[in-house]
Amino acid sequence: MKSLVQPEKNSLYGYPNWRTKAFLIIIIGFLVILVIGFIALNFGTIAIHPQKIWSILWQHDTDDSLGLIIWELRIPRLIMAMLTGMTLACVGGCFQGILRNPLADPYILGVSAGAALGACSAIALQYATGLYLMNILPIFALLGAFLSIFLVYLLSRKKAHLPMADLLLAGVAVNFFFSAIITLLLAISRREIHSMVFWLMGDLSTASWQKISLIFLPVFIGTLLLISSSLELNAMALGEEEALHLGIQTEKLRIKMFLIGSVMIAIVVSFTGLIGFVGLVIPHIARLLVGPDHRIMLPVSALAGAAFLIICDTIARSIIAPTEIPIGAITALIGAPLFIHLLQRRNETDEY
Amino acid sequence: MNTDQKPIISLENVTFSYNQKPVLQDINWSVEPGQFVGIIGPNGSGKTTLLKLISGILTPQKGNIKLFNEDIKTIPRKKMAKIVSVVPQESYIAYNYKVKEVVFMGRIPYINQWRGETIQDYQISKEAMEKTDSLIHAEKGIHQISGGERQRVYIARALAQSPKILMLDEFASHLDLNYKYEIIKILQEALKREVKCIISVFHDLNLASYCSDYLILLNQGSIEKKGTPQEVINDQTLKKVYRTKPYIIQHPELSIPQIIM
Repeated sequence: MKSLVQPEKNSLYGYPNWRTKAFLIIIIGFLVILVIGFIALNFGTIAIHPQKIWSILWQHDTDDSLGLIIWELRIPRLIMAMLTGMTLACVGGCFQGILRNPLADPYILGVSAGAALGACSAIALQYATGLYLMNILPIFALLGAFLSIFLVYLLSRKKAHLPMADLLLAGVAVNFFFSAIITLLLAISRREIHSMVFWLMGDLSTASWQKISLIFLPVFIGTLLLISSSLELNAMALGEEEALHLGIQTEKLRIKMFLIGSVMIAIVVSFTGLIGFVGLVIPHIARLLVGPDHRIMLPVSALAGAAFLIICDTIARSIIAPTEIPIGAITALIGAPLFIHLLQRRNETDEY
Repeated sequence: MNTDQKPIISLENVTFSYNQKPVLQDINWSVEPGQFVGIIGPNGSGKTTLLKLISGILTPQKGNIKLFNEDIKTIPRKKMAKIVSVVPQESYIAYNYKVKEVVFMGRIPYINQWRGETIQDYQISKEAMEKTDSLIHAEKGIHQISGGERQRVYIARALAQSPKILMLDEFASHLDLNYKYEIIKILQEALKREVKCIISVFHDLNLASYCSDYLILLNQGSIEKKGTPQEVINDQTLKKVYRTKPYIIQHPELSIPQIIM
């Protein structure tokens, strides 16, 4: 039987070139990020001429003070925003895939609450004891995040299994419990409340090369590992049983995704605080742009997340400079209307 | 039926209970090559459980299940996926994948993670869509097509898996008459070609009788009767299993029993 549609020889129902497509998208995405990044470097308390920035970047100009601003303040912050956006969006996309739920976000398993409790404890402790703890605050946050991962695992484990519903419920419970303790801390705190609230809404102002060197490798390897499971995530869309019928060990896949994703989030969040909305919305935007196939959707999410957070951070630090707005407020302020606009456009054309 | 050939599927004393509550007891049954087997029985008689046991989703507490003479417990998942494919009763696909992407998922067990898919994988998916007349929908979203079209896409996905055993769970009960006929035709064609046997759970006894060469009637977790539709669907057994007295007539053209209310 001859087909009704006569596909071209190599675009046989348009598929084999997905690699080329993905490759092109990633290259273009990188270029866009470079351009956005360069524009972002122009914003800040001190105005520097773009030409001067360009020559500082290529080390033609050795103006010390301006070079310091670019190389030690603006660029680390840019890279931190990129890595954070990439991680949040990619993990969010993965969790939405593995849970088959478009409302999932990277914080769904309580990692954020654990990190927040760690960070707020460090701040409270600093004010109470007079010790300077700001430098080791990320360690507190990381410990808190790992504590919550461990608790969720303990609470949801049933013999050798880790049922999905129990995992989610345990995540919600841990989230609420830790949030309650944070609320208590906030209630009894005085001067430190500002630092705590700022951390809770995300803060990239402390970015440094040292922090970047700490998070770069785990985040990069984690992203690659998540993306390498794309085909299995696609199969999960059919349902758990159907994925099993396709030879996928769904339980192993789920544990792998949650473990890698949660560790990545724990590491990033410990340095940046809780930046909301990116991990929920960017995967949706990626899906609207390139379709739900994780092999393309996840890399696009990662790139879009990076670009989005650079833009948000630039706005956060320059809109009423020198005062900074917490980046978490900006991500939601820009993200929510953008998201609603895209959803409405989609509803006009078809069902999701 | 050729008696020299070994059975494709054989179940020996298979017993399965869920939370100490027995669901299936002492099931003995084998499937010959080329058979279209229908599993029927009232709600809660264990039809779907039996399907899940054969597809390896559930493991029996007692007894043996063999596929092509190999114990199902020793077959790894990936290999299992190349032997058995399942069309679910009703399934919701999270996110609006294109039809061609859904069909292509059938190739996942064959794809090497590092080398990626081959041109053959696309060829096979395309053929599966041709066989099920769903190539015209290839570019549409799976949520955009009608229920009947979607069912054909699910069958295409199952065929793209190049299965030797195709299993279906109530594939057509909610479909319009024309779709029912179409799908039955597709399945019968597949049975003539690469698929060695088809096993389907039926709710609709008339459809079961129309499609199947062999019927398994389950009642409270045991096989009440097995054989050709003529042997299984009769006043006596139906009265015993369903506790009503149906009117059974003969199909005017085919010699199969049909039930009228």
